[in-house]
Amino acid sequence: MNGPGHWFEADPLWFKTSVFYEIHIRGFFDGNGDGSGDFRGLTEKLDYLQWLGVDCIWLLPFYKSPLRDGGYDIADYYEIHPDYGVVEDVRDFIEQAHQRGVRVIADLVMNHTSSEHSWFQESRSSPDNPKRDWYVWSDTVHRYEDARIIFVDTETSNWTWDEQARAYYWHRFFSHQPDLNFDNLEVQAAMLEVLGFWLELGLDGVRLDAVPYLFERDGTICENLPETHAYLKRVRAEIDASYPDRVLLAEANQWPADVVDYYGDGDECQMCFHFPVMPRMFMSLRREEAKPMYEILAQTPEIPDNCQWGLFLRNHDELTLEMVTDEERDYMYTEYAKDPRMKLNVGIRRRLAPLLDNGRDEVELMHAILFSLPGSPVLYYGDEIAMGDNVYLGDRDGVRTPMQWTGDRNGGFSRADFAQLYAPPLMDPVYGYQAVNVEAQLRTPTSLLRWLRRFISLRKEHPVFGFGTFEPLEPSNPRIFAHVRRYEDDVMLCVHNLARSAQAVELDLSGFKGRHPEEIFGRSRFPAIGELPYLLTLAPRGFYWFQLVEDDDEVDDDG
Amino acid sequence: MGDARAAVIALPEERLHEWVLEQRWFASKAREVAQLNVLEAVTLRESPPKLVLALVEARFQTGTHELYQLPLGLRRVDEGWDEGVIAEVDGWTIYDALADGAQAGELLERIRGSADASGEHGDLRFRSVAGAATGVAGNADIRPVGVEQSNSSVVFGDELILKVFRRLEPGVNPELELLRFLSTRRFPHIAPLVGWYEYTGRLMDATLATLQEYLSGARDGWELCLDDLDGFLPRARALGVVSGELHTALGSDLGDPDFAPEQPSMENLSLLTATVDEEIERMFVDLDTEDPALAPIAGRAQDVRERLQALSHIGTGGRLIRTHGDFHLGQTMLTDRGWVILDFEGEPARPLFERRRKRSPLRDVAGMLRSFAYAASAAEQQRGATAPESWEDRAREAFLEGYFETVDATLLPPGRDAVFKLLSVFELEKAVYELRYELNNRPDWVGIPVAGIARLLEDRETA
Repeated sequence: MNGPGHWFEADPLWFKTSVFYEIHIRGFFDGNGDGSGDFRGLTEKLDYLQWLGVDCIWLLPFYKSPLRDGGYDIADYYEIHPDYGVVEDVRDFIEQAHQRGVRVIADLVMNHTSSEHSWFQESRSSPDNPKRDWYVWSDTVHRYEDARIIFVDTETSNWTWDEQARAYYWHRFFSHQPDLNFDNLEVQAAMLEVLGFWLELGLDGVRLDAVPYLFERDGTICENLPETHAYLKRVRAEIDASYPDRVLLAEANQWPADVVDYYGDGDECQMCFHFPVMPRMFMSLRREEAKPMYEILAQTPEIPDNCQWGLFLRNHDELTLEMVTDEERDYMYTEYAKDPRMKLNVGIRRRLAPLLDNGRDEVELMHAILFSLPGSPVLYYGDEIAMGDNVYLGDRDGVRTPMQWTGDRNGGFSRADFAQLYAPPLMDPVYGYQAVNVEAQLRTPTSLLRWLRRFISLRKEHPVFGFGTFEPLEPSNPRIFAHVRRYEDDVMLCVHNLARSAQAVELDLSGFKGRHPEEIFGRSRFPAIGELPYLLTLAPRGFYWFQLVEDDDEVDDDG
Repeated sequence: MGDARAAVIALPEERLHEWVLEQRWFASKAREVAQLNVLEAVTLRESPPKLVLALVEARFQTGTHELYQLPLGLRRVDEGWDEGVIAEVDGWTIYDALADGAQAGELLERIRGSADASGEHGDLRFRSVAGAATGVAGNADIRPVGVEQSNSSVVFGDELILKVFRRLEPGVNPELELLRFLSTRRFPHIAPLVGWYEYTGRLMDATLATLQEYLSGARDGWELCLDDLDGFLPRARALGVVSGELHTALGSDLGDPDFAPEQPSMENLSLLTATVDEEIERMFVDLDTEDPALAPIAGRAQDVRERLQALSHIGTGGRLIRTHGDFHLGQTMLTDRGWVILDFEGEPARPLFERRRKRSPLRDVAGMLRSFAYAASAAEQQRGATAPESWEDRAREAFLEGYFETVDATLLPPGRDAVFKLLSVFELEKAVYELRYELNNRPDWVGIPVAGIARLLEDRETA
């Protein structure tokens, strides 16, 4: 049913104006009552996602897996985890999503597999096995010594001795996740085949997990190597030739100057996450100053026209602090991870609302900043209702608890017995499902959920946020983050007050003389812009988005 | 003799561009068309006048596209054909074939004979319904009967009508889907489906046209109502009966996944209410409080929203089914065998997948009730006839009485109170939409939706 007749919209730049929504299938909705979320359940909730205004769903890995790393340890690329359903359910879900005009992308881990993958089992079995060379084997640990260790909390080396293979194997992440050897052409071809399978099934794209680490070379840090870019360009070319309108989204937790290489000349990945901007948004908020954001945005190079940044406040991982200075990291830990349990690896494992002390103004302000930046916002399931986290669950499970649909048993997530649930839903008095759930927020016009829906639809009315320029204003008041977005005739002025106190700011808008700012939520018209600095006062943590409207009625004084 | 297909492919783009942009069915005037390409051209008749069915893609600057159907006729330039002319190529006049009876006749012949044709990227499939009356007298008059936003129609000798969809979307058109469903089940209150043709191939699978019996001598429900408001009242009940039967039929097949009634999801009503609530809020933000036509509701945003909240306090219940989707008096005709319901395309401005969604049948009912409100005012504005006291109330009452008599009650929420509440939610949704539309397009008509919203507020006050 996913043939050419059924999903047809040609729009190669769809991702530039889209709002993404990241879903952990296990935690979203349990369709068959076994205590774990699944594709059937997800399909039932499509109406909700369409209502919210989601353009594209991003699914965390759902493949067959021993689940020692949330499914990022794939044991078979062509099967899905039995808890989630069968491949047919995925097809049906994609079809149903497309019928609502919602696209679907999914995680794909190219860099490594689970050690349980049959490829690895074959590879380790004997030096003569045809798949021996599919992984990176060595007799010594003294190769690629300049490569850093990423999961510092659990791993002591990137090499692990395998008794059966009588050799060390290379792994950039957990030791149960051996890296595939992309120098082997069969591996390159096998991964293209995997991609083809899922795109054929209807996926609108893939998020390429851990993409900087595909190749290893001595004397380098084994990240962002030219070979990696060459392979990604090949992937892109092969996809473009057979599957129109698909997107490659790179997860490259790197500095912007390195990340932009993943766009190539518009011929590699269409999207990359902008990792470093995110911790700086939290830093700016806590310090009540816009400088950290201006700085990182100034360091962000231009990207090709057919590409886009992926921006997020929180996701399924820890709030990563790899792309900050040591000093900044210490600051972030002190301010946002007061309980040591909240730290994980180089980051903080908490959800958005608890990070912001459940402050409604802060949550709204952070969304406003996120939505105003050049890029496509990626929301994380549950953050739209200000769900909390559970720091007592291990690893990153604390931010992957069941979605809270109603105030009923199990938060409406599952009909299974409580003991059967993959993880307990939150039940504390502040963030628990009886206080925080979709049903209640749907019924409350002033809820965060309802606010966010209005905000999403408002943003989508203005393609300028997807296509427009970014022109920082850097006003003299350091507590104000203000900038202009411009696309064709649409000019948007976004002004955000990071302070806990009311602030006044004077903006030099003389370039827009004669225009009227029109506040886009309430459509109130503000006084016309003249030669003098434009004065605005903002409530604590308040923000304004103005469309700068040209007024045809009034004759300009030069006339 | 030149090859017709080659001539069509050689159509100068600027001429095609110019012509397509002038057409009422071309949906995207405002957006800048970057390119028009003939993606498929299938010759349906090689002898003059030649007939080629073309699928034309409009590409826009941003990389998006739309696909249109253009049946094209080719006659020698010296014949001097001058209807719907697009261009002259290699001594041939290329023109809109639907302006030419002889060409439309060829399409009819194809449907009758189930005579498929192959293109470069896919196939045209012509189909007739087994046992349907496809006969038309040989000398029958063939005439184009007007162009709608989404389609062009041709009538064959007052017996058959061919509706050709211009803008193509992937998937089966609900017009074909519902007519086929209802015709197969011998639902009597439609103009039965006689045939259709469709395209299937690499570009897309799409319905291109439907052929139905033509209702000669029938009267348009809207016109009839306006001409004689009093005379309509006794017929309103019968219209309700037919509407109830329509929904019962549409919700009768549990085996066909495209039609099987569905249980509304947990959030269904909450999502609907939240959406309507926001539409109300936004509408009031834009309202000019000085406008006297708006006086009955001016400043009452909070009342309206509270009313909506109260209405939404009903449990989930009833079923979602395939509906008419754009139900109003203008979609009905009175024939000698009673009321007939037309036009199952749904709201043409909405994407096809949305038009095919299952919804509560009460949404259709609300559409018809709103249509009565419009009729009362339109009779005054257009016919100078004042609607009799409480005409709208009586029309509503009669229609609903007939409707509840025949509709399968399991399709509706349980209990009269819940039914009326949900119906009111849909009426409110519709009236808010109407008000926004009238404010932008027909300020003289603003009073109608305003009265509709005020009416829903009064219901509370009297209840």
